[in-house]
Amino acid sequence: MTVKPKRKYLILLFISLMVSAIVILDLSMIQEQEAARVEGELYTTPEPIPSEAGVFRRSEFAMDYNNMPDDPQHQRSLDTYYKNRAYSGAPPTIPHIILSESGMGGKSCLQCHQNGGYVAQFNANAPVTPHPELINCKQCHVPVKSNTFFKESSFTRLEEPEINNQALPGSPPMIPHALQMRENCLACHAGPAAPKEIRVTHPERVNCRQCHAAKPTLNIEWTRPTTETKE
Amino acid sequence: MKREAYNIEEQSRRSFIKRMAAASAMTAASALLPDITFAKSKETLQSGELQWKKSPCRFCGVGCGLLIGLKDGKAVAVKGDPASSVNKGLCCVKGYHSVMALYGKDRLRKPLIKRNGKWVEVTMQEALDLVASKMKETIAKSGKDSVSIYGSGQWTIPDGYVATKFMRAGIGSNNIEANARLCMSSAATGLVTSFGMDEPMGCYEDINHADVFVLWGNNMAEMHPVLFSRLLDQRLKRGCIIIDLSTRTTRTSLAADKTIQFKPQSDLAIANAICYELVKNDWVNHSFVEKHCALKKGKTDIGYGLEDNFQFTDEPTSIDWKEYENFLSDYTPIKTAEISGVSVKDIKYLASLYGNANKKIMSLWCMGPNQHTRGTWMNNLIYNIHLLTGKISTPGNSPFSLTGQPSACGTVREVGTLTHLLPHGTVTNEEDRKHAAHIWKVPVEKIPAKPTYHTVEMFRALDRGEIKFMWIQVTNPMVTMPNLKRYRDGAKKEDRFIVVSDVYPTPTTDIADVILPSAMWIEREGMFGNSERRTQHFEKMIEPQGECMSDTWQIIEVAKRMGHGKLFPWTKENHIEEIWKEYSLFHEGNKHGIAPYEVLKANPGIQWPYVNGKETKWRYHSKYDPAAKGESFDFYGKPEGKAWIWARPFEPAPEVPDSEFPFWLNTGRVLEHWHTGSLTRRISVLHQAVPHSYVELNPQDAASMNIRTGDKVKLISRRGQIVLPASVNERGQPPKGQVFVPFFDESLLINELTLDAFCPISRQPDYKKCAIQVMKA
Repeated sequence: MTVKPKRKYLILLFISLMVSAIVILDLSMIQEQEAARVEGELYTTPEPIPSEAGVFRRSEFAMDYNNMPDDPQHQRSLDTYYKNRAYSGAPPTIPHIILSESGMGGKSCLQCHQNGGYVAQFNANAPVTPHPELINCKQCHVPVKSNTFFKESSFTRLEEPEINNQALPGSPPMIPHALQMRENCLACHAGPAAPKEIRVTHPERVNCRQCHAAKPTLNIEWTRPTTETKE
Repeated sequence: MKREAYNIEEQSRRSFIKRMAAASAMTAASALLPDITFAKSKETLQSGELQWKKSPCRFCGVGCGLLIGLKDGKAVAVKGDPASSVNKGLCCVKGYHSVMALYGKDRLRKPLIKRNGKWVEVTMQEALDLVASKMKETIAKSGKDSVSIYGSGQWTIPDGYVATKFMRAGIGSNNIEANARLCMSSAATGLVTSFGMDEPMGCYEDINHADVFVLWGNNMAEMHPVLFSRLLDQRLKRGCIIIDLSTRTTRTSLAADKTIQFKPQSDLAIANAICYELVKNDWVNHSFVEKHCALKKGKTDIGYGLEDNFQFTDEPTSIDWKEYENFLSDYTPIKTAEISGVSVKDIKYLASLYGNANKKIMSLWCMGPNQHTRGTWMNNLIYNIHLLTGKISTPGNSPFSLTGQPSACGTVREVGTLTHLLPHGTVTNEEDRKHAAHIWKVPVEKIPAKPTYHTVEMFRALDRGEIKFMWIQVTNPMVTMPNLKRYRDGAKKEDRFIVVSDVYPTPTTDIADVILPSAMWIEREGMFGNSERRTQHFEKMIEPQGECMSDTWQIIEVAKRMGHGKLFPWTKENHIEEIWKEYSLFHEGNKHGIAPYEVLKANPGIQWPYVNGKETKWRYHSKYDPAAKGESFDFYGKPEGKAWIWARPFEPAPEVPDSEFPFWLNTGRVLEHWHTGSLTRRISVLHQAVPHSYVELNPQDAASMNIRTGDKVKLISRRGQIVLPASVNERGQPPKGQVFVPFFDESLLINELTLDAFCPISRQPDYKKCAIQVMKA
C-alpha cells in the first residue's frame, strides 16, 4: 500500500497535534499536583538538576568568539571578577559610574551588557549578563559610591571555587559553581570580557554541558534496588 | 534515591575524591575478604563543607525564600530558594547579602547596664534580674499600666506570642504595642472596616493572572523589587499594563507603562472619582453589589490626633444607592482634576481600566495610602473600586496591601501585639477575652477589656510620666518616631526606665538603661508571616554570638523572675514548637486554621487558612475558600456575608505648605537600606552603594536656589531642622514644591521634622506629608 505524500503530511500533522495535546495535559496535571503538594515530610526539591533555560543562548555568537583575536590589554582576570563580589555567587556590584540612576534594563544597563563589546568611555570590555530578561538590574547590582565602612565587619568570605577540577587527569573540568541564574555558559566563559582564566578554548561546541557536568551540590545517596537473585 | 532538599551538602573536590578512594578501598577489601561486610562510611558534614538551609529573608514583608550557605558554623552565602513560590529563586541585593548583617564587629554580645552614666558589662543573669525587679518595682509603685512593651514587625511569631501572653495574662495590662502600628495599621483597619477581618483575600499568585497593575503611591521597583520583577516578567510574557500612580518620579515610574502624578493627599479624591466614573458609565457589577455589598457612611471631619489623649470612634450608618451616588457627585473628573492635578483624561483612563469587564486588575499599595492621616479611608476607597466592579477574591482580581516588615502580618496583626488585639479577636469583645483566658488558663478578669495606648500615645504617655518603664525589642523608635525630639526628650526624662533588646548599638540603645543582646534571625528558631498570609519557619542554623539570647527567651526569663513561670512551662529545646501548638488553638477552624509545626518545617512557607492539609489562596469565594458558603462570594467577616462600600470623602492634610513653609516633605526608603539601616549599613555592599541620606529636589527648584547635587541644603519644619546633601536628577525626582528624604540614616534624622499626626481610626502616623522650608546651607 502506498500513501500519497499529501496524506502523509496530514497524518504527521495529526500525530504531532496528539503529542502536543498529551504534553500539555501532562504539564497541567503536574502543575496541579504541585499546587496541591503540602505534605508533612521533608520534601524533595523540585529542581535538583540545574535548569536548562538559556543553555544555548548566545550560541549564535560562538563563531565570532572563536575567531576573536586576543586583546591582552583589556582582558579581565578572575581577580577582577571576584573583586566586586561579596562572596562567590553574590551579585557583582557596579564598578563604574552609572549613566542614569533611575534607568531600567533595556534603556540603560542592557545597552552595553546585553551583548558586551568594547566601551571607550571605560576603556574596557563590558561583561555580558547571563539573564538579560531580568530588567530591574539595580535590584541586585548596586553602585559603589564610597570605600568606607559604616562599621567594620567580621564576615567570612567564602573561598572561590577551584577552576582546574577534573575528576581524572585530562577529563573535562566540572562546573564548580551554582548554575541558578547563570545557566548560560557563554555569557561569562566566552567573548572579550570573559576572564582569561575561565575563557573557553572551544566556544563553537555550544553544548557545554555535554562534557562539563555540574559538580554535585547535592549529597545524594543511591542504592541499588534489591531484586530477586539466583540461589 | 533520597534527596533532602534542605540538607544539601556541597562537596569539595577533595572530600569527593576522599570518599571515592574510601569507597574503592572498601570495594577492593570486600573482594579480598568476601565474608566480612564493611560498615558504610557515615556521611557527616566535614569541616570546610558548604551546607544550605532554608529561611525566609530577614528584611521586607515580601518574604522571599532564601537558602543560607553555612560553613564551619558561619553563614557565608545566600541564594534564592527555587522552591519558594514567593521569589522562585530570585532575591534582591539586600537578600543576597543579608547574612553579612550577622557579623558587624560592633555586634552587641554582652548585656550592658548604665551605672552613674557609664555602660557596665554584666552577666545575662544579672541583667535579667534587674529588668524583672525594675518592672516589679514600677508596678508596685505606679500600677500595672505604668509598664509597657514596644515590639516589632520583625519580632518572630513566638517573640510576639510570649510578649502578648506575658503582658495580658501575666501582668494584666494591655500596654503592648509594636512598630507595625507605624506601617501597617491602616491596612488592617481598612480590611476590618470593609470586610470584618484582617489580612488580604488575594495572594502573590494574582500577579500571574492580572492584566493590569495599578500601583497606588508605591515605588515597588525599589521597595518590593522581587515582586516587581514578577510584574515585569509577566509583562514580558503576557503584555500586562503597569500604571504608576504616584506623587514623584521614581524607578517604578520609568518601568511603568504610564505614570500619573497627583498632589499629596488627593488620592482620596481620585479613588472616589474612579467610582464616580464607574457609576456614570454603568461599569458597576450591579448583581455583585446587590448580593454581596452593603453601603455605609461614617463620621467626617475626624481630626488628626495632634493633641494628647485624642479619642475617636467611628459610627457606621447605612445609606442607600441614591445617597452613595449623591456623595460621589462631588468627585466628577473635572472637580477631581482641580484637587489632584491629574487630567480629566487620565482619571477617565484609570476608571476605564477598572471598569473594563474583560480585564483582571490588581491594585497594589504600601506606605502611600497607609501612612496617611486618612489611611483607613484610603484603604476603604480602593476596596470600593474592586467591590463596585466585583473584581475581588478571584485569581488576578485583587486589591493588595504590601507590607514592609518580615512579620508585620505574622506577628503583629495575626498574633495581636497591638493594645486592642488578642491572638484571636479584640480585648473589647468578651467572647474573645474568654477564649484567650481559657487557652492561657487564667481567670478572664485578668485580661483588661479596655485598650490602653497606641504607639504614638504610648510615647506621649512616657513623656507625660504615665508610663515609667518601657521594654523595646527589635526596633529603633529613636529614629522612626515622627516629631522625634518630643519622644526622645520624654524617654530621657528622670525616673523613666528603658530596656532595649537589639543586635547593634542604635540611637535607641543610646537612651536605654539596660541593653540586652539579642540572638538574631537564624541564630535561633522562629517563624515569620509575610504579606500573603504565608508563614515560614526557620531553624537555628548558627550559634548566637557571646551571651546573645532570643527575644522570646528573654521575655520568658523575665516572666519567670516575676512569678509568671507557669504561663511558660517549656524548655529551651521545645519552646518554639510548644508555643506554635498553643498559638494554633486560637486559630482553629476553617477561617484562620494554621499549619502544624511539622508541615511548616518541611515547606518553604504555608498559607493560612490551612484546612484539611490544603492552603487557601483566595478568601471569601466558595470555589477557593472552604469557609465561604454558597455558590460564589461570601464575605463572612461581616453580617449577612456582605462587604461594606464606604462613602469616605476627601479631607485635606493637617499641615499644608503655605507662604512660611512652602514645600511638601515626603520621607521613605531606598532599595539598598532597610528601615533604620542598623542592619543594612553594616553590610559593606549596601553601605557603599548609599553611604548617607540626602534630599531629592526638583531640578527647577534646585536651579532657582542655585543648588547642585552634593551641595548642603537646610530643611526646616515647625518641629526641627536638618542639613543634608542635595540630590538633583539622580534616582528620584519630586515635582516642583516637593522634596523627598530617606529615613535610614541615624546621623541625619529626618524625623526631627515630621509631624506626629495620624489616622484617627488606625492611629498610624503620616510620614509622607508635612510643610517645610528649603534653603541652601
